[in-house]
Amino acid sequence: MLPETLHRTGALMRHNTMLMLREPGPLASRIILPLAFLILLHPLYERAEAGSRGVTQAVIAALVTFSLMAMSIAGSSILTERIWHTWERIRVTAAHPAEQLVGKAVPVMAVLLFQQALLLGFGVGALGLKIQAMPLLALVLFAWTLTIIGMGAALGLLVRSLSAMSACYDIGSMIMSSLGGALVPLAAMPLWVRHIAPASPGYWAVSALESALSGDAGRTWAASAALAGFAAAACLVAWLRAGQSWGRSAGL
Amino acid sequence: MLRAEGLVKRYGDCRALDGFDLVVQPGEIAGLVGHNGAGKTTFVEVVTGLVKPDAGSIRIAGVDARRDPRAARKLLGVAPQEQALYNTATVRDNFRLFGSLAGLRAGGLQAAIGAVAEELRLTDVLGQRVGLLSGGQRRRTQAATAMLGQPAVLLLDEPTAGADPETRAALLAAVRRRADAGAAVVYTTHYLPELADLGATLAVARCGRVIARGSQDSLISGLPGELRLRFEDRDLAPSIPAALAGRSTTVEDEIRITTANPPADLAAVLAAGCTPTSVDVRKPDLDDLYRALAMETAHAA
Repeated sequence: MLPETLHRTGALMRHNTMLMLREPGPLASRIILPLAFLILLHPLYERAEAGSRGVTQAVIAALVTFSLMAMSIAGSSILTERIWHTWERIRVTAAHPAEQLVGKAVPVMAVLLFQQALLLGFGVGALGLKIQAMPLLALVLFAWTLTIIGMGAALGLLVRSLSAMSACYDIGSMIMSSLGGALVPLAAMPLWVRHIAPASPGYWAVSALESALSGDAGRTWAASAALAGFAAAACLVAWLRAGQSWGRSAGL
Repeated sequence: MLRAEGLVKRYGDCRALDGFDLVVQPGEIAGLVGHNGAGKTTFVEVVTGLVKPDAGSIRIAGVDARRDPRAARKLLGVAPQEQALYNTATVRDNFRLFGSLAGLRAGGLQAAIGAVAEELRLTDVLGQRVGLLSGGQRRRTQAATAMLGQPAVLLLDEPTAGADPETRAALLAAVRRRADAGAAVVYTTHYLPELADLGATLAVARCGRVIARGSQDSLISGLPGELRLRFEDRDLAPSIPAALAGRSTTVEDEIRITTANPPADLAAVLAAGCTPTSVDVRKPDLDDLYRALAMETAHAA
């Protein structure tokens, strides 16, 4: 049973990787844009927040905002399959819905982690970003990537068109990253924003990244746990949609 | 073997399936025919597990599909009505994925891809993206994905809809070969001649159930056909013998006589002194069968 599961999941992962590489535009955009943002805007952040805090804020702003935008990679890959009717076609094979979702998620996870690693690497190499606890940072990146994939998958199974998806991730990612204090520190935002900020996964991502970079294990674990909660909720929605007939192409 | 018994599927007040029974033996091609909304596609969706039935049972090669759907799907090859292929991937990529999901590996997978591509005349386009294929090539690619892995039960939902004659011939030959190899095939279509070419048995669906099942000959040959006559002088039409007049209708400049014995009725027309300029005999078809079955149902009610 397990070898068959691994065989099918492997086939789906290879296939989904190939599909992403055949249409590399979105990947290139999600990798080049945050680097450009960081290169062009880090002086602004360094001037606004003196010293290393400015660099940290600039890297976190680029990482959280653009990884949220990369939610579209996960969502589009599922929605496109629903439009092509291949989502149902796979469902009538021996593949379990979990295999189908893992086969989709792993290649997207690799892209997201690559995007984040590139930004952090650039921050360390070119801007002097300090990382105090690498294992904690790895934990945060993993939890944050799962959250993004879960939200993207749920979105890909909820919406009915590519334009609806585009609107959702454009609006959603900007609101979540702004509310979370990624673009502008929460301390500089109105009081009411600070009150509702914890409702945004972006808030916990910023908090977890700041803590991991400064080596605060307690805060990192707490924020990562909150991210895991968001990820679990999003994955549950995606799982229910994938397993039931709600996500069917007939509804498009 | 496919055995579906007492399938019921309701959508609100609508009964898409209402006691649907169908048994298809290994090596048999069952042509599932019926008007739109008769329940054909819902039946396919229920058998594949895309839709859960409210009642009834499905066994695929002995496996209870409701209790163990994934084990049942391993034995199933499906070509849905709508195109379901990866447009940005090549034909080979599509075959590789669906072959792998059907359990084929490495050398076996490559051999199966080569064989099915040759069988359905797709060898030359294996490296082409599906989005760039012609309609007929896509139809054949879709059907081929269902045939990889030699499934015990093959469900083909209108596989030749809109297909050109070459595509149709290639598909029918491939389906026939699968049945000859022992697969039980369910083939939904609106074209009776295709089923005749396949040597398929008929299952006529209406209002969510199979209302007639048997060979084409047994179901259709006893039905009346039509004798269609045209006359140079339209005024001759009233001269049609009285015995035939009750069974005749006039459509534009053509007189149509419903008949079980065209030669005898034509002889009667000629004997009455009416000489048609053209004679056409239309054999009974699926529509006649639907009409006959509908009348039968109405009488029974």
